[in-house]
Amino acid sequence: MSNLLQSIPEGRIDFAGQKLVDTISKIVLITAVVISFIAGFALQDIRVTFGLFGASTALLSLVVLPPWPMFNQHPVKWLDSKGNGKEKAS
Amino acid sequence: MHSIFSRINNVSALLSSCTMALLAAIALSTLVFNADPKGDLAIASIKVYPGTTRRYAKTKQDLAFVNFNITADLTPLFHWNTKQLFLYLEAEYINAQGVKNDVVIWDRIVRRKEDANINVAGKNKYNFRELSASFKNVPPANYSLKYNVMPYVGYLTYGEIAKTVEPVAFPRSQPRV
Repeated sequence: MSNLLQSIPEGRIDFAGQKLVDTISKIVLITAVVISFIAGFALQDIRVTFGLFGASTALLSLVVLPPWPMFNQHPVKWLDSKGNGKEKAS
Repeated sequence: MHSIFSRINNVSALLSSCTMALLAAIALSTLVFNADPKGDLAIASIKVYPGTTRRYAKTKQDLAFVNFNITADLTPLFHWNTKQLFLYLEAEYINAQGVKNDVVIWDRIVRRKEDANINVAGKNKYNFRELSASFKNVPPANYSLKYNVMPYVGYLTYGEIAKTVEPVAFPRSQPRV
């Protein structure tokens, strides 16, 4: 029970999910910088720049921070534990 | 990246780098806009009366009263990174003791592009006084209208819009009527 309570706020994801989160956040943030700069420069309005950048940051954190099921599709498969009595002799 | 805290840490670290890069790019983009508009400045009249200022209420000193006309179109200075303009009219003269003086006698803050077409017939906003309390023997002064562009991100830029063609002499101090 205490384990479950602890795991909810921790929001653990598996190794493949961690790699995915890393890739997504890098791509989205760098693209957001480029696009918001170009859009603001083209429209000559700095509010467009910071609006786009802020919105994409908010969206990114919504996608990346919570432990969505798509980040938990590759759970680690542990090998069966060895030596449960039978192999003690060998 | 396994827990939500390490993800917050990771994303915000990259976010701060990206924000710095974005701000640097915005600051550098200001270099593209190098408009340097010019305008007209005419000193309509200048008079010197004895008087007192609030700060030195007991000292009788000469005060100069300058009337001027300004026309300038400063809309080219407004681009995406311009927050506001600071305009100031400066009197430049070397006083009788040989010290160079730059005195701001009028200023204005322009916040919007719609207000950037300047057409002012005004007088000095701030007391124009000489430190030696008298404009006697002070050589003629040059007046110049200068601007200061304040950006949202980046560094301040300065420029001169107009300058009087010839120095304007201070008249003799006359008693107040």
